[in-house]
Amino acid sequence: MNEARGPRAAQGAFHVLVVDDDPDMVAYLTRLLRTEGMDAEAALDGEQAFALIADSPPGLVLLDVMMPGVSGFDICRKLKADEATALVPIVLITALEDTESRVRGIEAGADDFLSKPVNREELLARIRTLRRLHEMRKELEERRLAAEVHRKEAIRKAFSRYISPRLTEKVLSESQNGADVFRDLSDRTAVVALFADLRGFTRLSVTVPVSRVVPMMNEFFAELATAVHENEGTIFSMAGDSLLVGFNVPVAQPDAAERALATARVMVRRFAPIARRWKSDFGLTVGIGIGIEAGEVVVGNVGSPSFMSYTIIGDPVNVAARLMQMASTNEILIGPCAMESLHAVLGEANSFDRRELTLRGKAAPVEVLAVRVAAY
Amino acid sequence: MPEKTYTVTIAKDLEDLIPVFVEHRRKELESLRAALAAGAFEQLRQLGHRMKGVGMSYGFDRVSALGKQIEEGARTGDRGAVEARIAEYADYLARVKVVYE
Repeated sequence: MNEARGPRAAQGAFHVLVVDDDPDMVAYLTRLLRTEGMDAEAALDGEQAFALIADSPPGLVLLDVMMPGVSGFDICRKLKADEATALVPIVLITALEDTESRVRGIEAGADDFLSKPVNREELLARIRTLRRLHEMRKELEERRLAAEVHRKEAIRKAFSRYISPRLTEKVLSESQNGADVFRDLSDRTAVVALFADLRGFTRLSVTVPVSRVVPMMNEFFAELATAVHENEGTIFSMAGDSLLVGFNVPVAQPDAAERALATARVMVRRFAPIARRWKSDFGLTVGIGIGIEAGEVVVGNVGSPSFMSYTIIGDPVNVAARLMQMASTNEILIGPCAMESLHAVLGEANSFDRRELTLRGKAAPVEVLAVRVAAY
Repeated sequence: MPEKTYTVTIAKDLEDLIPVFVEHRRKELESLRAALAAGAFEQLRQLGHRMKGVGMSYGFDRVSALGKQIEEGARTGDRGAVEARIAEYADYLARVKVVYE
């Protein structure tokens, strides 16, 4: 019988890999293990061992230290350094009086030692103990992973109310709890605020049957939210027919102004086919008006104990809201602070012009940039 | 005077492995003789080391004892001692009888 590949034990039997260059030791050890109902497999060198482990990770490895080629210590070190096999117990087989090998074995991460000549009872007792330990470790690891998945799911659920799924994944992959990724928002924070609303909403609400208004508004907001998520913005509020979005918050985005402008353009383009359909179905002329401004805001949960919302408050939000109100259909008005960040980007665009506008609450007129988006 | 024999008692479940084991020991003896003739002490040391580990595991305690002496003799370069142990090993393999229980 070929002892290296001998008969496989019953399904679910404890799987032990014996690594030894001496065929007699391999035959002896695999025989003892199989007699005890274990699933024993053998490798005569390191290369064969790695191939078998990759194919089917064992529950335990019995490893001779003195082998030609890759030594038992090197195999042990490699298995312990690999996340997939680090928890597999390794028993190093050394000569009885070989203290130096035992020290090297401990340094290589071995879990236990067995002396050659191998005593049958000692071998089986050590394997039983390590098997129990291995199963406990595996169970603990599985519980830890389940808790981790549960915790991430809770974070994902909480985040996804505000930020894009892609950004949520980024936060979760880069940080255990978001703490390393999120900006410190305890002070005033520089953001880019974008306000968008539906032009023609008042007419829509009086001409379209009430039962159709909510599904139509959902359609409108769905397109806008998709545009926001594509550019990793954060939605702070959806009220009536308008939407407030922030960039560079809660995660730092050096290109926040570019993201805001890209979002605005995508909003108009995504909504265009819907606007055409509404025109043909209800005779409505609709579009989107958008305002963008940059500056410092206060970020936080604002409200009363019974009703709170995560929001941004400050002058750029007010300016963006005013600009949105003043924008024509499918026009983006960009405030003076956001404009500064967009010079490089807008240099390439030919569909914009500068305007001086007097905004409510501002003493002096401000220069803004108007960008028309072709709604094709 | 009856000829001296060595009796080794082996567990029944290892019975089918013993013929191969003994055959390997005979080949090992040839390797030991060849290494001695060539003065290859490192090879002698390795062969002795292997005998030491495998012999007693199967129940052949004398193989391990001789292996240890050959390993030591080879390490110190004691050719006479190694040669004597190899002769003892040849005698042992010629006379060993196995009993299974």
